[in-house]
Amino acid sequence: MSKTMSKTMSGPILKVDKVGKTFVQGVHQVEALADISFSVMAGECFAVVGESGSGKSTLANLILGIYPPTTGTISYAGEPLPAKRQLVHRRAIQLVQQNPLSALNPKRTIGASLRLALDVHGIGAPSERRDIVGGLLEEVGLPAEFASRAPAALSGGQRQRVSIARALACQSALLVLDEPTSALDVLVQARVLKLLEKLRRKHNLTYIFITHDLCVVRNIADRVAVFEKGRLIELAATETLFTRPQTPYTRALISAVPVVSEEEERLRQRLGEPQNAIG
Amino acid sequence: MTALVLEIINLNLSFARHGEQTAVLHDVCLSIARGERVALVGESGSGKSVTARIVLGLLGELASARITGEIRFEGQDLGALSPAGRHALRGTKMSMIFQDPTSSLNPAYTIGAQFHEVLRRGAPKISAKAAKERAGAMLAGISMDQPDRVLGSYPFQLSGGMNQRVMIAMALANTPSLLIADEPGTALDVTVQAQTLKLMRELVEDNGTAVLFITHNIGVVREFADRVYVLYRGRIVEKGATHAVLTDARHPYTRALLAAVPRLTGGGIADIGEETDVFAAPMFDHGPGAEARP
Repeated sequence: MSKTMSKTMSGPILKVDKVGKTFVQGVHQVEALADISFSVMAGECFAVVGESGSGKSTLANLILGIYPPTTGTISYAGEPLPAKRQLVHRRAIQLVQQNPLSALNPKRTIGASLRLALDVHGIGAPSERRDIVGGLLEEVGLPAEFASRAPAALSGGQRQRVSIARALACQSALLVLDEPTSALDVLVQARVLKLLEKLRRKHNLTYIFITHDLCVVRNIADRVAVFEKGRLIELAATETLFTRPQTPYTRALISAVPVVSEEEERLRQRLGEPQNAIG
Repeated sequence: MTALVLEIINLNLSFARHGEQTAVLHDVCLSIARGERVALVGESGSGKSVTARIVLGLLGELASARITGEIRFEGQDLGALSPAGRHALRGTKMSMIFQDPTSSLNPAYTIGAQFHEVLRRGAPKISAKAAKERAGAMLAGISMDQPDRVLGSYPFQLSGGMNQRVMIAMALANTPSLLIADEPGTALDVTVQAQTLKLMRELVEDNGTAVLFITHNIGVVREFADRVYVLYRGRIVEKGATHAVLTDARHPYTRALLAAVPRLTGGGIADIGEETDVFAAPMFDHGPGAEARP
């Protein structure tokens, strides 16, 4: 167990403390994130929402250690994560991306892509890894025979299931889901979201769910962090955020969502009325 | 002359691949009256975008495409027109807005130059100066700040939302009788999308332009369309007034589609089973109000 970071602890699994990120391009400086602090509890689904340019993806990259923050610290299970992540840190936090076709190597079979994660992190005995791969596929609702297929032979939903299986392969407790269903058709989206919920309960996973889709957030998240132009402007339990949003920006976001039912329309109207927040 | 702007009658499309025919559209029938906003909703691969391309005449050149059926535009059989005749319709009497505004504008020309090109299709002799004035007035009309700066800009210097508004203004510049909008808000943020839809609705109402609105987003259908056709695997499975279809969906596919949309008011993620044969049920027509009223 020395290779995995401790998962059994009380308190937050992830702590983001006064984190800022400034990108420098020649003489230009872009402050992508400023003074962000929040904690994610073990087993919760923590949604990060915002429009393009709000800093959602920068936050994901900081958490994953793609690049270090300019200021502040990010801690996992009580330990600050170093600027240069070691293998053990990389294993601890896994990513599921928006577009599974670009996330999977087209030249590798599904089985080889899953196996690579096991090989890199030395999970299971080499002779067992074939079976582990089969088990992972079954876990996400795909037949074990899919191991021999290429990503191109799978539908969008099936590919996204493979991406999820690959994240599960590392047995990490924390998954960063970056728009995991926004490239999928609505029926497929519902099935993949249902799968994510099932896996979270079964393995007590923690999700950081990054999305622009508030309807998805409403139905899957425990808490929601709203980002606007690199700042965390509102953080609340999902129910509270959608019934009593505190900032004009959040109200504007919710009331701009195209909805399908009268009941939703009434909620939208109610939130849209008091102030016209769209500038 | 009939008041139907567009009439698609028994449209079939198949592609030849490896010596076999793959059927993509099956007897699609659809009609749009003057000034009416009609949505064609379906998931990826259902055939909604190819339908738009056939109407525009952009698919006929493909050697592998086999198209049968009839398309009438303002009472005229488009199949009887020469390629030059169809070309003359595009950008004048029928125009199109695509999903990604930034890639549908030419990055090498300023917005002003591209606007001029569009206006020239309606009035071949229009001068650059007159075109600029007209374009400036149109952009000001859609409450864009600093129209002159926008006209002097290249598409990459503007935001996605601004480009999309420019696209809408351009598409309506020659007061077409039919606008085909293919997922016009999908690439945009939700607040920008809401503004874009509002703008489009205002402009088409002012001009009496009919719209064929192609989307996968049922919420957007509810916001924008008078009537809706639901397309599943190349077949229309349900049609009717938007309100009727959304509040009283009858076809199993439409019902599944509506159930699968996560609600802003909560209630959890629906349990959607695998695709079944029930989706092959015959079309449901909501009847009066479902047909375009001439």
